[in-house]
Amino acid sequence: MQIQDLPYPDPGVPDARSGPRFLWWLWLNQLGGQLKSLAWGLLHFVSVSALPFCVGLAVQAVVDRSGTRLALTGALLLLCGTGIALGETFLHRAAVTNWITAATRVQQLLARKAAQLGSALTMRVAAGEVVAVSTGDVERIGWFVEAVSRFTAAALTVVVVGAGLLVYQPALGVVVAVGLPVVALAVLPLLPRATRRADVQREKAGRATELASDTVAGLRVLRGIGGEELFLDRYRRASQEVRHAAVRSARMWSLISALQVLLPGLLLIAVVWHGVQLARQGRVTVGELVTVYSAVMILNYPLRHFEEIAMAYSFSRPSARRTAGVLSLERSTATEGNRAPEVPDGDLYDPGTGLLAPAGRLTAVVCGDPDAAGRLAERLGGHPAEPGRSVLLGGVPLDELPLDSARTAVLVQDKDPVLLSGTLRELLDVPASGTVRAADALDAAQCGDVLDALVQGSLGAADPMDARITERGRSLSGGQRQRLALARSLITDPEVLVLDEPTSAVDSHTEARIADGLRRLRSGRTTVVFTSSPLLLDRADRVALVAEGKVVAVGVHRELIVSEPRYRAVVTRETDDELAAADEAALVGARQELEEIEESA
Amino acid sequence: MIGVAPPVYDPAAPTTATTLPVGAATTVRAYVAELFRRHRRAFLLLVAVNTVAVVASMVGPYLLGGLVERVSDGARELHLGLTAGLFVLALAVQAVFVRQVRLRGAMLGERMLADLREDFLVRSVGLPPGVLERAGTGDLLSRITTDIDRLANAMREAVPQLAIGGVWALLLLGGLVVTAPPLAAAVLLAVPVLVAGCRWYFKRAPSGYRSEAAGYAAVSSALAETVDASRTVEAHRLGPRRVALSERRIKEWTAWERYTLWLRSVLFPVINAVHVIVLGSVLLAGGAFVLRGWIGVGQLTTGALVAQMLVDPVNLILRWYDEVQVAQVSLARLVGVRDIEPDAGDASLAPDGRDVHADRVHFGYREGVDVLRNVSLEVAPGTRLALVGPSGAGKSTLGRLLAGIYAPRDGRITLGGAELSRMPAERVRSHVALVNQEHHVFVGSLRDNLLLARSGATDAELWAALGAVDADAWARALDDDLDTEVGSGGLALTPAQAQQIALARLVLADPHTLVLDEATSLLDPRAARHLERSLARVLDGRTVVAIAHRLHTAHDADVIAVVDDGRISELGSHDELVTADGAYAALWRSWHG
Repeated sequence: MQIQDLPYPDPGVPDARSGPRFLWWLWLNQLGGQLKSLAWGLLHFVSVSALPFCVGLAVQAVVDRSGTRLALTGALLLLCGTGIALGETFLHRAAVTNWITAATRVQQLLARKAAQLGSALTMRVAAGEVVAVSTGDVERIGWFVEAVSRFTAAALTVVVVGAGLLVYQPALGVVVAVGLPVVALAVLPLLPRATRRADVQREKAGRATELASDTVAGLRVLRGIGGEELFLDRYRRASQEVRHAAVRSARMWSLISALQVLLPGLLLIAVVWHGVQLARQGRVTVGELVTVYSAVMILNYPLRHFEEIAMAYSFSRPSARRTAGVLSLERSTATEGNRAPEVPDGDLYDPGTGLLAPAGRLTAVVCGDPDAAGRLAERLGGHPAEPGRSVLLGGVPLDELPLDSARTAVLVQDKDPVLLSGTLRELLDVPASGTVRAADALDAAQCGDVLDALVQGSLGAADPMDARITERGRSLSGGQRQRLALARSLITDPEVLVLDEPTSAVDSHTEARIADGLRRLRSGRTTVVFTSSPLLLDRADRVALVAEGKVVAVGVHRELIVSEPRYRAVVTRETDDELAAADEAALVGARQELEEIEESA
Repeated sequence: MIGVAPPVYDPAAPTTATTLPVGAATTVRAYVAELFRRHRRAFLLLVAVNTVAVVASMVGPYLLGGLVERVSDGARELHLGLTAGLFVLALAVQAVFVRQVRLRGAMLGERMLADLREDFLVRSVGLPPGVLERAGTGDLLSRITTDIDRLANAMREAVPQLAIGGVWALLLLGGLVVTAPPLAAAVLLAVPVLVAGCRWYFKRAPSGYRSEAAGYAAVSSALAETVDASRTVEAHRLGPRRVALSERRIKEWTAWERYTLWLRSVLFPVINAVHVIVLGSVLLAGGAFVLRGWIGVGQLTTGALVAQMLVDPVNLILRWYDEVQVAQVSLARLVGVRDIEPDAGDASLAPDGRDVHADRVHFGYREGVDVLRNVSLEVAPGTRLALVGPSGAGKSTLGRLLAGIYAPRDGRITLGGAELSRMPAERVRSHVALVNQEHHVFVGSLRDNLLLARSGATDAELWAALGAVDADAWARALDDDLDTEVGSGGLALTPAQAQQIALARLVLADPHTLVLDEATSLLDPRAARHLERSLARVLDGRTVVAIAHRLHTAHDADVIAVVDDGRISELGSHDELVTADGAYAALWRSWHG
């Protein structure tokens, strides 16, 4: 796989039964790249290890006063240099490509998983895990998978050079062959502790960043009411904790560095000690001695890969486990349905509450309990998180349709619709019937001032459609966000549109205009609005009051506000005490009340 | 492959207008100089320790050179024991000092980094409220997360490592000059190749790595958004589009990876060539020198080994140099906040009384475009004033002016006769509080969340404040009472609870005048009933300016001001306005049914 061909047309089906299995699956899927990395790695490491022979040959040539052999050494050196350069460059290219392809594959799998899980991801733990895998774990997994063949090349080189030295100069080679494994493995016991300390440091750094960004996010509150010093002190403490953890971690790494100097150094001294004596006895030449010395010096380089692979594995093992866990998440309910895909039309009916939304009409639902309203709205769309008796659309149970058909038929805009970042054009580009133009929807949702604000806040966009909306529309006010979300739902133009408190953050002036726009744009289509605003209720064809999970009254706003005290309580927001009083006085004072209301109207 | 052009799409390019200044070159330089001055001792110590470590590392090759010289001369006495002793000693010194170098480097880097991030937060927290309102917190937030992160690498590793690498390379060259001056000349042959290669590379690398990092972050944030918006994504059937978006982000990111990989594909052979040239010229030229008798075999051996050692510091410098370049941009963004003048205000100004008075106020966010025109208002102490009007009419702006966050372009706004915008922010807020839709719950304990309003408050006072807003029942039911961790990562509070905390803070801060900017608008209207009752209790006796989007709030107010197109078009009590039969009356009728 070449980098320019990424992303994969299909990232494949991962083996997510366990972390190690997942790593193995990733590795197998880039076998070609791994072999490439191995081959170039061997060329590189072997060429590097050949340098000492050049040095030894050169010194020996000079000792023997042979200009020709010196020149030959030069040619050999050139050959080694070419091998090193080619090997390193192409090893690096192969290694980076392997890293990127592995990371890409995991990111693609995650994106598909997130899309498939959909609303099942609202469970906080699952959502957090997916994001944690994407931001941190992918890199570590890619690192380990990539490092496998690079390590193999380095390990093979160490073996080859060790064996080569044994053949080249057996007496000295033995010392090296015994010493090398000790040098390679000595620091391994320290690595787990070092990586643990690094993890502690990372965790504390994450905590400090969180505190800082939290303080900044709430800065307007702080500046408005005080308490800056309290938060600064807290951050200073967190920041100093990071520093101490980092220094603690550095202590361990510096110990490892010192060992990495000391152990090969001791091996060198042993080689020199032994070698000089051998040289005096005439059993090795000076050139051979220099070669062995220099070879031991340079072997440090491939030896470092032993530590790297150990570190990569200890970092990536928990990451792989978490990734496998995320990739094997499933929705708790089936999404295929047991009916053929179709988009039914007709009346929407909920047998659970007895709520009926006649086809082509605007129905408003008033419900005193916001949570119950949210659950009812969710059920109206079919396939709710908690299965029960299915809602019927034109007599067809929505839960039995495939998820996609149900979502096509009914669009439920919940209380907290999220604006996705991107340009306004991208935001409004949703799967839609195609009959409602963006301009009309924006107009109906009274988005004029939102468009102005967007153009002002963006960089050189004259057309509001090119203006960028930040994540969750944070740069906009709550009311502005609601109106854009409403415009998006209107563009979709579904058979049935269910809106839960679509204008709670909008001022009354604007809300009145939105109510008119909504009626106009949805005329002839089925619409259900959960609201307690008289401005919306007054424009509904039919109003249903839901209490204790049942529809208890149906009528039009002007009727219900007179005849139904419970309705009046929710809509005019009398307090509980007033409500109790009203209930007591309901019989006696019904007539009197009626007059009062008529007066104030 | 003959090269890769930088991709057209740059994920690091700004998408929203930068709202806060970026530090000028002089500011950045001054800051860096200050940072160095503050840590001069640590720097000098690092250089000293490093020098010892490098000198010790050269002892080995030097001793071996001597041995080789003597062996090849056939000398009888090799002083092998002494040499080995020295060797071990040098090695021990080297090991100890290498450890110190790593440790001191990390300590220095961490200290500078801690200074930097704490300095930045101190500055941010001191920003004038007007700047914050105008700029929003997004830009600041990206600075404290992304830019601090980028700098962390530079400070923690790059700066100390570059210092180490520089000293190391210089000492090795120095060692080469001392042992065999002619060999040092041979090394210089490689310099032009190195310089040419590095110039080409470093002209392109920093921006390339910046874009690459931004591209990678964009991959994660696309997924994070899909997850965050999972309900919306499912409702609008956006799943396939989100997958396509993730894949587009991957394509954009990998295009930059490919570009930087190409940059390294040029740099690596250059560096390798430099190493081979150094070693080759030392060996061949040095060999020729030995043959001519200019230098000895021992010098050649030492020289060759030192030349081989040069690989490490050169790699170290190249490895970290571009990090430092990338970090410069982040540093400029961080110190840019220092360029904003904190408005000190006139500390001698103090309000005399509680009357709020706006006199022929004009105000606009941009030159030549006034949002408010000729607004005059008189709010007597204890009055409840409601501002109503369509979106974009200027209600919120007027509220912010009355809270002293912005200064009028023309005209005056005074509290008790003293001009609000000229008072220090700390003084203003002890009199006037602005409460908006932002009910931020800070990460930390419930106690911290309340204490910010009155730092010395006792637990009894905190409970009293919670009680005043009907929040004591659920607060007592929490596992750890006031010590319960709330905010992101802790216990998630409902919007209604967050609202109650905001109100409890108000009770503690106890300002006599309040500006409420749609403070309850993000709450479910059905959940707001209790809250409004608590709110009424908290507000009792205070001057309240309420920007109302629900007409019943207006109905309860003493005075209603209808703001339309930057002017006050109607002013009076509810009954007066209904009788006047203007815009307000029309709206009231439709609202009340």
